[in-house]
Amino acid sequence: MPDVRIRVVDGLKLPPGYREVLRPGEPVRCRDGRVRRLPRYFYEFSSWDEAKATDLAPDFRAWELLDVDVREHALLRMDGPRYLPLAAALLAGQLQLLRERAGTLVHVSANGGYRSPSHRLSDEPTPHNWGAAANLYRVGDDWLDSEAAITEYGRKARELSPLFRVLPYGRTAGQTDDHLHLDVGFVTVVPHGRPEEGEDGELPRDEARGDDGNGGAADGAGDEA
Amino acid sequence: MGNRKQAGLDEDPLRASVRSLKETAGASKVGVAYYDYETCTGGSYFGAEWFHAASIIKVPVLVGVFGAIHAGELDLKSRVHVRNRFISVADRTSFRVDAARDANSAVYDARGRTMRVEELATHMIVTSSNLATNLLIDVVGLEKIQATLRELGLADGVELKRGVEDERAFERDINNRITADGMLRVLRLIEDRRAFTADASHQMLEIMHRQEFRSGIPAGLPEDARVAHKTGEISTVAHDAGIVYPQGRKPYALVVLTEWEADRTAKRKATIAEISRRIYGHLTGEPADA
Repeated sequence: MPDVRIRVVDGLKLPPGYREVLRPGEPVRCRDGRVRRLPRYFYEFSSWDEAKATDLAPDFRAWELLDVDVREHALLRMDGPRYLPLAAALLAGQLQLLRERAGTLVHVSANGGYRSPSHRLSDEPTPHNWGAAANLYRVGDDWLDSEAAITEYGRKARELSPLFRVLPYGRTAGQTDDHLHLDVGFVTVVPHGRPEEGEDGELPRDEARGDDGNGGAADGAGDEA
Repeated sequence: MGNRKQAGLDEDPLRASVRSLKETAGASKVGVAYYDYETCTGGSYFGAEWFHAASIIKVPVLVGVFGAIHAGELDLKSRVHVRNRFISVADRTSFRVDAARDANSAVYDARGRTMRVEELATHMIVTSSNLATNLLIDVVGLEKIQATLRELGLADGVELKRGVEDERAFERDINNRITADGMLRVLRLIEDRRAFTADASHQMLEIMHRQEFRSGIPAGLPEDARVAHKTGEISTVAHDAGIVYPQGRKPYALVVLTEWEADRTAKRKATIAEISRRIYGHLTGEPADA
């Protein structure tokens, strides 16, 4: 069962070093031209061991969406607190559906869960920066590195949840050929009684479109995997 | 180094010996270079001739990795995502390395997870893992490694242009190349403990000492001689480059590069071993099989 003791923190109240790395609530322009705010609220784990022991869903622990390599900012790789956007719990719940359908382990790759905006793979914002995307490289004994496997498991994921967005097999931008990319969009979660993503509570405006830029739903915008 | 004599192999009796071996074995091309720390003498035979580097290039890559460590961008404990997907320098399309070409499957089996830099560096040298090599080039950056080699004065005789198994680059003749003299400079930099720091140089040597492929230079030496080395072989070349530590004397660095017709495979390693044996005899005055 999900761990109800999990701590939620306001990123804007974190020490300056973490704010610089996580950039909570900061508006960023995505590949589709829309401006969105990065997540402001995070689960806080005092250590890697705590992340390893914390359930986000019955078969997904927090570390699985926090596992990164040397490309992540050093502050998020050292012994010390780790931060995961609240949307990760929503993603874990969706992944749990796939886990139950498959009847076997669903493996998220390193760098395949949450990536901070300071991660070297974060050239442009993607749902990974919202904790709302997962790169799966293996389900049970099935390696998701072929067109057949990626297409098959992508189809299963879409059947399980309308929230899932799946990148198709291929070798160009917006496609994958060595893993299955699933995301639930640029989701931000605001706890009860807390202000919105921006410090002043105002949503950013997309100057080019004049619309609300805080799109929280999966909209099919192109991203990388 | 005051008495150092930099004689060419073509000036001493080894020239005839190496040329004879080359002709007997049917090699298209042979390049040899050595430097003896006992006598401070060295020499080379076609030392400036360029060869396809094959896996010998992994030693300069190792130097580049330690350059990134020295610069504080990595450390040996840093974790690297193991992913079999790389971008060709020829056309920016993706490619994978062939699992069957790696001597062990440890790196390949870790796909999706992470391995430490020290593990990847060890697999790159000890079992010549192509996947580990490309992962390290990817995480450090090809241009950064090239810059490190230039800064160390190693670019003359070592051309690192791409990762391994980049077939589209190969088709366009974009290849890693080395000369025997160039690789000798790399080895001497490490043996002299001038590769960043004495500790970094020592760590590189420790990795090279664990080499598992022993049919080249070591096969021409007495059993008690230790060798820190790296082999390299593709369809048309077979090389070995390393530092030999004979019992009771100072070491010598030796590079043996050979090029062959693709269908002439039988005598490659034996030729390298025989050159190694003759160099050993020349430098120590003792037969290698004594």
